[in-house]
Amino acid sequence: MRRLLLLVAPAIIGCGGGDGGSAPARNTIIDSRDTYDPRSMDPALSTDVPTGRVVAYLFDGLTRFTPDARVVPGLAKSWEISPDGLTYTFHLRNGVKFHDGRPFAAKHVLGSFQRVLNPATKGGRGWPLYPIRGAEDYAAGKSGAAISGLAAPNDSTVIITLKEPLAIFPKLLAMPVASIVPDNPGSDFGQKPIGTGPWKFVEWRHDDYIKFAKNAEYFDGPPKTDSLMARIIPERSTATAEFESGNVDVLNVNEQESRTWEADPEKKKLLQSAAALRFWYVAMNVTRGPLRDVRVRQALNHAVNVPTMLQQVMGGRGAVAAGVIPPTLGGADTTRRGYTYDVAKAKQLLAQAGYANGIDLELWTANTDASPRIAQTIQANLAEAGIRVKLVSRDASSMREASRKGETDLALKEWWADYPDAENFLGPLLHSRNKGVGGNVSFWGNPQFDRLVDDARGEQDEARRSQLYTQADQIAFNEAPMLFLFFYKDLYAIQPWISGFTVPAVFSAQRWTDVTIQK
Amino acid sequence: MLSIPTLFGVLVVVFLLLYVAPGDPVQEMVGERADAETIARLRKELKLDEPLIKQFTHYTSGVLKGDFGNSYITQRPIIQDIRERFPKTLLLAGSAMLLASILGITIGVLSARHPGGWFDRLGLGLAYLGISFPVYWVGLILILVFAVMLRWLPPSGYGGIEYLILPAFALGSRSIAFLARVTRSAMLDVLNSDYVRTARAKGLVERVVVVRHALRNALIPIITVLGLDFGYYLTGSILTETIFSWPGIGRYVVNAITRRDLPAIQGSVLFLSVVFVLVNLITDLAYAKADPRVAYS
Repeated sequence: MRRLLLLVAPAIIGCGGGDGGSAPARNTIIDSRDTYDPRSMDPALSTDVPTGRVVAYLFDGLTRFTPDARVVPGLAKSWEISPDGLTYTFHLRNGVKFHDGRPFAAKHVLGSFQRVLNPATKGGRGWPLYPIRGAEDYAAGKSGAAISGLAAPNDSTVIITLKEPLAIFPKLLAMPVASIVPDNPGSDFGQKPIGTGPWKFVEWRHDDYIKFAKNAEYFDGPPKTDSLMARIIPERSTATAEFESGNVDVLNVNEQESRTWEADPEKKKLLQSAAALRFWYVAMNVTRGPLRDVRVRQALNHAVNVPTMLQQVMGGRGAVAAGVIPPTLGGADTTRRGYTYDVAKAKQLLAQAGYANGIDLELWTANTDASPRIAQTIQANLAEAGIRVKLVSRDASSMREASRKGETDLALKEWWADYPDAENFLGPLLHSRNKGVGGNVSFWGNPQFDRLVDDARGEQDEARRSQLYTQADQIAFNEAPMLFLFFYKDLYAIQPWISGFTVPAVFSAQRWTDVTIQK
Repeated sequence: MLSIPTLFGVLVVVFLLLYVAPGDPVQEMVGERADAETIARLRKELKLDEPLIKQFTHYTSGVLKGDFGNSYITQRPIIQDIRERFPKTLLLAGSAMLLASILGITIGVLSARHPGGWFDRLGLGLAYLGISFPVYWVGLILILVFAVMLRWLPPSGYGGIEYLILPAFALGSRSIAFLARVTRSAMLDVLNSDYVRTARAKGLVERVVVVRHALRNALIPIITVLGLDFGYYLTGSILTETIFSWPGIGRYVVNAITRRDLPAIQGSVLFLSVVFVLVNLITDLAYAKADPRVAYS
């Protein structure tokens, strides 16, 4: 099926857009990026990408991300951090109103955080707020009705006390789940949301579209366009056809189609790319068989030709990874080179580890998007070094469960950052605390690495923190608990009549407030 | 009367299959990053830690009261989700069927009039093409030609009749071909029979012979094909709905399966089974209407 689609897709690109793109009469921005219906519009349930985007349109947090991944004030106009790094005092904006006219105040911050953590909410994403003192006990139903680390001395001040110093805390507060909701949201809040954000909710037709209208009273200035529509288009070739017909304004270009777009001088003008905070890698379970030996893991890294794979399979959409920190984030060592593609060296390392006759491994992959093709390429590469790989292709859910249980030798994974900080890669993917469901499906643990990451978490000095990250990343690189593949690059096509759009580094960071349709 | 045990069987099988299938709804809810305590707590909240038989009786007693439960993922009532989506699938399937019957039967009848003639051979060729092309390929070609190149119709989405034409044609294309073939052979049988010769001999005009005498008697196999296809369309329009971004029940089921949303899968599969049983029943009744020899006591 996929192969047939590939034959048709370039034809769609080749045929359309003959009229050179005259601006549409509508005054609605139409987005085409969501491929499935959001879970809800309730911030407490924002565990997937479409939900996170919608929540960012409708709500504000104390802080927020800019498209280029900086953290700036949101509902908090400023904050102070106590010298011990434990207490954050947030000064809130005055005069902010929810979409129904009710004024925003400090109590809403407390109420919103409690709601996310309350077991009855059944949201499943309390962890960004767990650094708050008492939050984890509250989520476990152990501490009664209050969270000890939250206080609102007056309507415009919130004081948050943490369990331990955490320099990245303002970044966690910019995540959609930490958005502020009004009192008594009610049981259908996920369908009829009321926030303070730049867009007001208008209509949600499930599996079809969600409509928003501009919030003329938005505290940061109203959006420059009247309305916004997020269409849900499951098939990416269809999204391309919609773009060609001028019905949508922004398109997430398919990897397989990138070359076709870039080859056409007219189409090329519409393209905009940006480094995404997305990391492709193969987790190696270091508790299983030959993978216990670091030489074997290094051999795998030497045996795979990542640069060629990146060009051939992903249309050049990415940067080769040498470690787990994307080059755009603090802590990335941009001078470090990835493992060289060297089959002889791989064989030599295997022989040293006592596997001169090669080894047998299972590589698990999800059966969606680019994964199967990447997995097949890895299989072919590894075969040349005497590593016999059996591919196990499953739906994403089965594969995730198996890798979390430690039942996979190798698991091809893609990690999307939730917040722009190296900790969001080092911590979940490799800290020993996060083995299994926490995200570390390599089941790797290194006390020195753990200590560096923990120290960095509490370090307020940006430069010093980056240094700690770099050291931790170097240990991970040497120990090779994963096959380092690449950091993904987003490629968007944007209609010529759209201005003010930038490709966001974090999925929820483009709120369309500065985007206009040129008539 | 076999319907009730059939539906109960469906319920049991779906329940057991989901129980043994890999993948976990709670892990889908929490996303890529979570902690073991949260997962354990959610399992408890959703009563997933209870014994299977208890979960099953709990679910079944709800269903008997007309309560399909709430989705684990979205927390919306399943029945409301089905109510929103099923009419859209029904509209698409109905239009595809209507289009297929009109075109398919017409082509079949005309082909049978002059077997071996140019129209017959053209129809036969088109029928082979229609049966051979997969629906997603037809769908994308239709989008390419009629939406992107000619700009006559919108590429995808749900709305007025202009949104319905392409998906209905894509979904119905196989049936047009199949119905044309079935109609042609049934008509050929009938047209060679004695009573048609008699009808002609007594001087009836050819149109009346073909429509009133021949087609009426060729209807049984046509109804069978229509009935089977309609059931299939209501439940199997997933690809068409995906390609044309049509917000129907097929996509709903696929999404529910992807996310291991147990109540949503159980509820929609059960609902679709009821629909399937009903369609079969209607087909059986239509036989009796079409052929006086078929009678149900």
